Amino acid sequence: MVLDRKIGFINLTKGSIDIQTISLELRRKFLGGRGINMYLLSQSYSPSLDPFSSENPLIFGAGLLTGAFGFGARMNISAKSPESGHLGDSNIGGDFGAELVKSGMSHLVITGKSEIPIYLFINNGKVEIRDAGKLSGLDTVETQKMIRQELRDEKVQVACIGLAGENLVHFAAIRTGLKNSAARTGLGAVMGSKNLKAVAVRGTLDVTVSDPKKYFKYYLQQTKNLLDTKWVQALGRFGTPLLFQYGNATGILSVRNNQRTTVGDQGYALEAEALEPYSTGMLSCFSCPAHCRHRFSIEDGKYQGTRGEGPEYASIGSLGTKLGNLDLQNIIYATELCNRYGLDTISIGSYLAWAIELYQRGIIDHELTGIPLNWGDGETIIELLHRIAQRKGFGDILAEGPLAEKAFGEVSKDYLLNIKNFPIEMTDERLPKSFALGMATSTRGACHMRSRPSLDILGLPVEALRKLYGGPVSNEFASYSGKGRMVWWHEIFNAVCDSLGFCRFLTVFSSPHAPQYKQFSRLIALSTGLLMTPKELRTIGERIYTLERMMLAKDGISRKDDTLPKRYFDEPIPEGPARGEVILREKFDQMLDEYYRLHRWDKNGIPRKETLKRLGLIG
Amino acid sequence: MRIKVDSEKCSGCHLCEMACSLFHLGIINTEKSAIHIKKDDLDISLNTPILCRQCKEMKCLAGEEATKVLEKKQFIWNRRRAECCPFHALPLLGEKAYHCDLCGGNPQCIKVCTPKAISIAT
Repeated sequence: MVLDRKIGFINLTKGSIDIQTISLELRRKFLGGRGINMYLLSQSYSPSLDPFSSENPLIFGAGLLTGAFGFGARMNISAKSPESGHLGDSNIGGDFGAELVKSGMSHLVITGKSEIPIYLFINNGKVEIRDAGKLSGLDTVETQKMIRQELRDEKVQVACIGLAGENLVHFAAIRTGLKNSAARTGLGAVMGSKNLKAVAVRGTLDVTVSDPKKYFKYYLQQTKNLLDTKWVQALGRFGTPLLFQYGNATGILSVRNNQRTTVGDQGYALEAEALEPYSTGMLSCFSCPAHCRHRFSIEDGKYQGTRGEGPEYASIGSLGTKLGNLDLQNIIYATELCNRYGLDTISIGSYLAWAIELYQRGIIDHELTGIPLNWGDGETIIELLHRIAQRKGFGDILAEGPLAEKAFGEVSKDYLLNIKNFPIEMTDERLPKSFALGMATSTRGACHMRSRPSLDILGLPVEALRKLYGGPVSNEFASYSGKGRMVWWHEIFNAVCDSLGFCRFLTVFSSPHAPQYKQFSRLIALSTGLLMTPKELRTIGERIYTLERMMLAKDGISRKDDTLPKRYFDEPIPEGPARGEVILREKFDQMLDEYYRLHRWDKNGIPRKETLKRLGLIG
Repeated sequence: MRIKVDSEKCSGCHLCEMACSLFHLGIINTEKSAIHIKKDDLDISLNTPILCRQCKEMKCLAGEEATKVLEKKQFIWNRRRAECCPFHALPLLGEKAYHCDLCGGNPQCIKVCTPKAISIAT
């Protein structure tokens, strides 16, 4: 069954549905999830492809082992991004991916545009296009509830957009459950442009297993090893908010649009312990033993009655310190509002920070904004979230993402900290050089999750790093040495994880003892019967990453774009534990050289012909 | 022996359902499991694992000429028995109901429950 899952090609203009099998050859080349998504996207990707055109394919892809015993059950959603204008891709947890698999499907490729609002219902392999007129304008939780009610099945899983996606806010998210989001790169707006309010799935089909007894035994052994790591134990108690304290203490936070990188002792207000009074328990995504997600409830104060899941570290940073906001209740409420509207908390934090700094510097004024913009003003943040989702007044300008520059003027560009037209996140990378390079080279624009090269922060022996990475890597995270190698290794590895449906947190993220290629190879064999060596898996990762790079190369992206915001090169961090840190251009270039050499791309960052041949990407 | 439940601890991961179907049927299908997580993922209410309570007085067998000891060892039951269960504890798929046979004395679901929401009570 795992290998029998299908792709559904759905054209919303024609109302046509074509269900096809996935060849074993395609599985062997790209596995599933992000890998097959990238293969499918590359078929129509071109510089002239308008993200809001009917030709832009919106692709849903469950990982090869999503729904089975593994290290997560995630999926990727991909398209050309309306936010960056380049490669769009976002990974999402929750239960939706596993339900898609239970319905007999692996991937969906949605093209065209419906004339009226619709949603798709996929039920045990059958695809139905249904009227969504009644769902227009509903938030993402109401939408899911209404669909379950209409289909009279509480087990239906729904991925949907809120008002932000309907209004084509360029950084709108696709959401499922209370919090799970394919938020990055504006794919909710692509969904909105197709008049597609939601995709609902329900399945009761078996996932067959090649060797059930050995498979279960092996899974239990590997999970035990994983659960013994300090990282997973801490994650299971505090969730990602535990990273806030680390970020603040080391000076790698974005504070006031990266004008600072720590809030010092004031940070106590936003640490994981401060969230505990609001937490009503920990939750897991489908098949996850780590349970890193919080339920929360605000029982008193201005936001009394707000309930939901989260917030994660990324949202605490993006809607908190990045905006000079230290009011935890306000951050929780703002995050929940983003979830309901279907907005990316990371991007919205970046665009708000940009606007506030422009206001601070007098580059834009009240006449344009219609509302005073000040650091740490939680009420204004809430008001702007409403205006952006509803595209009202100044919110309509911000809803365009980087294109707001047209209204802000040329000089505003220097204060939008972005890479490949995609904004940086809740962190500052002037201190950790591996992260800096990873942000610069990420194939979806500024993103720490494409590589997430964090093992150099653990102070492991250099020999341990050499063994893992196959070459010298410094264990000092402020050092440039070997960091090209580190980023290259993690980019390839994570491409494989995303194609299997595995979660960053359960693989080599912050523990070298977490599962790697060898364990993946064994799990694939025992569950699907497909024999793939660790080396073959690594080659698949290379193939996926290089294919992504080929798409970017079509857009004219090259070495000149693998760079960092001007502030990172020109402004040393002014205070705090990372004081004085800045990126040195010459050393950054050396990291890039090493990185391209290992990827076997040319010095300009373009994949070499022989590399493409070796990876089977050209004939 | 029975499996006791602590809803406060359940993370809603469904691993118990997966383990149950894999052990009994050699496949993974959360619908074909004797344990079921009652979960509203659009609310912040608790997740509750539900399964056979191993009642001494088996109301599920009412009106049947069945030997309790033998029936307790069976995994696949029928809809009628599930409908007779006063706790609605047996998951149904079509006409089949899934009954907890305690995996012959070594419950597999407990092995995958990391938050320890389910445990053995003797």
